[in-house]
Amino acid sequence: MRRLGAGLMWLIVLLNVAFLAWMVLQAFRDTRSILATPWGLPKTFSLENFVEAWTVSDFATAAWNSTWVTLVSSVLTVAVAAPAAYYLSRQESSLSRGLTLFFVLGLGVPVQVILIPLFVMLNSVELVDSLVGLNLVYIGLSMPFTVFLLTGFFRSLPLELEEAAALDGASPARVFWQVMLPVAKGGMLTAFVLQVIGHWNETLLSVTLLHSTENYTLPVALISFVQQQTYSGADWGGLFAGLCIIVIPMLAVYVWLGRRLTEGLTLGMGK
Amino acid sequence: MATRVLPRASSPETRPKSARRGGSLADQRRRLLVPFVGPALLLYLVLFVIPIFGAVWISFHKWAGSGPMAWTGIDNYRQLVQDPLFRQSLGNTLKLLFVVGIAIFVLSFAMALILRDMAGRKIVRSVIFFPHLVNALVYGILVGFIFNPDGLTNSLLKPLGVNNPPQWLAQENLFPLIMVTMVWMTTGYYTTILMAGVDRIPVYYYEDCALAGANAWQRLRHVVLPLTWDVFGVCAVLWTISSVKIFEIIWIFGASNGSGVPPTQTWTAAVYTYVTAFSGDSIPAYGAATASAVVSLFLVTVLVVLLRRVMRRDVIEF
Repeated sequence: MRRLGAGLMWLIVLLNVAFLAWMVLQAFRDTRSILATPWGLPKTFSLENFVEAWTVSDFATAAWNSTWVTLVSSVLTVAVAAPAAYYLSRQESSLSRGLTLFFVLGLGVPVQVILIPLFVMLNSVELVDSLVGLNLVYIGLSMPFTVFLLTGFFRSLPLELEEAAALDGASPARVFWQVMLPVAKGGMLTAFVLQVIGHWNETLLSVTLLHSTENYTLPVALISFVQQQTYSGADWGGLFAGLCIIVIPMLAVYVWLGRRLTEGLTLGMGK
Repeated sequence: MATRVLPRASSPETRPKSARRGGSLADQRRRLLVPFVGPALLLYLVLFVIPIFGAVWISFHKWAGSGPMAWTGIDNYRQLVQDPLFRQSLGNTLKLLFVVGIAIFVLSFAMALILRDMAGRKIVRSVIFFPHLVNALVYGILVGFIFNPDGLTNSLLKPLGVNNPPQWLAQENLFPLIMVTMVWMTTGYYTTILMAGVDRIPVYYYEDCALAGANAWQRLRHVVLPLTWDVFGVCAVLWTISSVKIFEIIWIFGASNGSGVPPTQTWTAAVYTYVTAFSGDSIPAYGAATASAVVSLFLVTVLVVLLRRVMRRDVIEF
């Protein structure tokens, strides 16, 4: 029984890895051979599909847009949420408890609820079809989760350090900047990377808010690429290359910070 | 408090200063409310909370997005209830929530138990977690390729003598296929969370079980389940919230059939909201669209409150 279970687990692992490897390998083959022999391996590692996807299909612009929207919005999210979370975790009052709850309630709201009002609001200030507008939306939307995560994180840090610093005459703002932030680097990095993953993959809002090709982020570019295929004929080679462009950065982040990520996403859930 | 006025090796004038302020850190910190919490709160209010109320407001109107809004009361909701398309979409969302949800939970719990004392568990865990970081669009596209008439599945079935394989991507088969894909994509994430719960159970409970001669089922029923119950509760809430948002994996099948809109048999509540507002073919119906989204919000709220009720029991300290 145990052995069967373990065998099954390894089979699932194998399937997952094979699936990913297959996707990457197909990106090096041309469409005709992919369709003729979907199990085939590339004969040469030609980068033609990638070059084509990057230049002709303009995944380059989309990748650039995705990168900067993701990075800017994630940095700003953490920069805005961290002081708030610090205050809420340290101040014991009914006001701060109420505010914490107020932030956390946002976790339960499905995005589609605010989709249309956001579109109307951004439209009235001419921020539809603008990456600045998308950035703003991502920051606002990430507040509940980031404040929730970081509040929990700051609570887990000991009070002694701050008390010692305060005894030495440091003002609370300085305590936060010079004592807490260095200690909290780990938690803030986790929060940042979680936002990077969320914003990189976000689809519904970017499809709604971005209309012109030069503003597309990767998910929108991918959808429009698939859509064009139905007119211009299948280009599976290019599509597989596009899939690699969206997946491989996530794989890199995961390899780099994997343990921190799984802990950030699972720890604190059990509490 | 006494410890705060103990002489320290710091310069003499700081001691009376902080002592004079008496619990000063907390006092001074209170004044940081506006600079520290203000920006986060402002962004949250403007970009999140106000839009929620905006959605409720719009849902009581007939509005094409520009021009005048006409107050129609609960008309939009009444029409939604009668709209077979909305009922189907909501039904699909509920299928994802419950059918896929139960499948995910049974599988992840089983996997968490298998992984508990398996060699190589860390490798397994890191591999099965990865799909959580991949955009669901990718899975939608790959499934579309694997199951297309000349795709991987059929090329595997051919040598087995299946010459008339099912029309995997036909409209009536597509949604079940999406459901299976969701299970494949999501199980690893919940396994990881449940594993964290299972790992917290101290070894001596298992040793006690062995001493008392409990069989595997009794151990599961009386030790593992009660001690992981709260983690289950959290997972159930997480899945409820995330399943109601499911959009892109459905949407991509509309892009690949050329019409831009996926077959109605596969619509979820989120797809219904999006199409009703932004499809471009008909006059946008912002009122009806937001009403359908408000129904989703209501659904999540009711389910989360219910779940918290049902899952609540005395916390077991261990």
